[in-house]
Amino acid sequence: MIPRSRAHPWWMLAPTLVLLAAFFIVPIGVAGFESLFAWDLLTAPRYVGAANYRAIVAHGWLLAIALRTLAYSVLVVSGTMASGLALALLVNRPGRLFSLVRASVFSAYVVSWVAVALLWMTLLDDSGGLVTHGLRAVGLGGVSLLGDPRAALPTLAAIGVWKLTGYSMIVLLSGLQSIPPSLHEAAALDGAGAWARFCHVTLPALAPAAAFAATTTLVTSFQAFDVVRIVTQGGPARATQLFVYAIYEQIFLDLRVGRASALTVVFFFLLLSLAWLQLRALSSSGRSS
Amino acid sequence: MPFSDRTGYRLPASRARRELLAGLLATFASVGCGRPARPRRDGNRTVVTFWYAFGDLVRKVLLDLVERYNQSQPDVVVRPVHQGDYFEALAKLRTAIAAGVSPPLAHVVLEVLPYLARAGVLEPLDGYEGAGELGLVPALSQIGSFDPGAPRITVGVPLNRSTPIAYCNARIFQQDGVHIPTTWTELSDAAKTLTQRSSGSVTRWGFEVPISWWYWVALMGQAGGRLVEPDGTMSLGGAAGEAALELWQRLVRTDRVMRPPPGGDYQAWQSTSEGFLQERIAMMWSSTAFLRYLEGSARFPIVAAPLPRASRSSVPTGGTMFVLVRSAPEEEKRAAWSFVRWMCEPAQAIDWCTRTGYMPVTRRAVAALGENGFYVRHPNDRVAIAELEHAQTWPWAPDLFRVERDIVEPLLQQAVLTGRDAHEVMQEARELAREPA
Repeated sequence: MIPRSRAHPWWMLAPTLVLLAAFFIVPIGVAGFESLFAWDLLTAPRYVGAANYRAIVAHGWLLAIALRTLAYSVLVVSGTMASGLALALLVNRPGRLFSLVRASVFSAYVVSWVAVALLWMTLLDDSGGLVTHGLRAVGLGGVSLLGDPRAALPTLAAIGVWKLTGYSMIVLLSGLQSIPPSLHEAAALDGAGAWARFCHVTLPALAPAAAFAATTTLVTSFQAFDVVRIVTQGGPARATQLFVYAIYEQIFLDLRVGRASALTVVFFFLLLSLAWLQLRALSSSGRSS
Repeated sequence: MPFSDRTGYRLPASRARRELLAGLLATFASVGCGRPARPRRDGNRTVVTFWYAFGDLVRKVLLDLVERYNQSQPDVVVRPVHQGDYFEALAKLRTAIAAGVSPPLAHVVLEVLPYLARAGVLEPLDGYEGAGELGLVPALSQIGSFDPGAPRITVGVPLNRSTPIAYCNARIFQQDGVHIPTTWTELSDAAKTLTQRSSGSVTRWGFEVPISWWYWVALMGQAGGRLVEPDGTMSLGGAAGEAALELWQRLVRTDRVMRPPPGGDYQAWQSTSEGFLQERIAMMWSSTAFLRYLEGSARFPIVAAPLPRASRSSVPTGGTMFVLVRSAPEEEKRAAWSFVRWMCEPAQAIDWCTRTGYMPVTRRAVAALGENGFYVRHPNDRVAIAELEHAQTWPWAPDLFRVERDIVEPLLQQAVLTGRDAHEVMQEARELAREPA
């Protein structure tokens, strides 16, 4: 379709561009500007230059938050992809039972993070939670999954995996069902066993769907907030203080708009870099296929 | 998309677009302008929106009192709006004040008053009718809660005031022949005796307290320290602050007689209460605010006791103060003040404290409770009042709230949970506290 005038495409794009500018570009610009000030919302802002950036870098705080968030994301993405693939392979067959299993697993993804967080808080409760009872029964009663700084982050990631597995399962299932049966038949005729067919036919054919599921899960895990806010509030001893929660805590609880803005700017560029890397990986895999 | 006016007449598209745009702009403008210049009214009554931060039993008691106030007079109607816990409510209040859409009346934790007062967002209350005749308990009033050098301008009136107290499971104490500890040494010994183990794991903890600022301040004060030195240096108690932290480390890590409760903020407090009620904890420290709830929920007799001493007895006071937002319309502020005064009257002050566990905030309420034998019938309620004799005052430090949340509390947790050296941790806390905000 050829536009009747040069302006037409821009008019078509205008609503999206306006929303993008209003809710993404301008706020990031504002955050960048405010990161140069010490401000608590109520008193007059004071220009401090790069002091907020120096402050978040000092004492290794920024690095700790970035590494913690990365560790959480790695756990969530790898856990979600592994369990999603296993479930997709398991339920990729006809029948009501498997439809029910698919729907059941996916239902966790539809439930809100708040409900999921509250549910898991009850299950993990130190005094009477079901998981705690189970751990006691197998002789692991001394472990406080949310109270021990070493266990809290993996526990939080496990909640994320439980919630997001349904999503990756559905995406991978669609990938599995789009693989032509003729590929498997040809490989079988060539003498390939089940494991060889899985490694050399199924996995390569699943790559685009897996890349999509991994990318979107990565972005979701980087934005984790609700589950941290409700289950651990960043504790114990900051062991679960992830990026978005740290920003929230700085601006709303610790009264530091400038420092929160500096964190936001760093977070923006971190996500931008990750998205760029993902896009590069996707485009190179697209070229090779 | 067809556009039409109210009569259904179809408008020309260009005019309809203009009107739609104008409508949208008007909507945005009305939101952006923030607080209406005129007070809000409901018929002839002035509406006072009151942001509060209580849950469960305390919330019910407050709503009952508000309802009673609304029925008691024809001029003012108070509309309470729940805003989460103290910290969530404060975050919302600050944001609302900045956006110009705050309510005229709220309540905030004591430690944040200096910060809000410095920001100039709180209404000075001394000039309001009857402000000097509230008859507040001195240690619970704003002036009495802060160091003598603090400004003498009143911006807060006590609503719910508390101190930490010890809650003991009387049945377990009696079974194990343990006396209520009055010193740190006795506390450690009692916790050891009360802790029960089965095949290596703990089945009942002797003692529990949330690893949080308020309780650390209590311990630091008992060890003889103060948060801010007379010259204004934020010392965080110096050696006393370290001794307080070392006590926790010893109980949790060396003796293994205290469980650090999971969760942050009030989640840890709730977890401690639950463990105590389930008799998985024999003794805990918590706020006097939970007294009625715990007494009503426990299947065992509870004995409340003052916190033990180290070199001296000392407790911080806590809770919140009513504040009026300065930018609110005058009429709403006057109406809000009439509610605050009404809450300080003996009948309401007594109802509030006897139904919750908070301390009565006026002298007349304390006297009335003494005269009618309430403290004889409820000796646990007298503990917090008696502790006021050893109440420490808070420094009037606008950065105190930030130091508490951003620095001290996470470092305390880190030291207790990971065993990091107490001196090193407190040294880091002091350095961070002295950095500019």
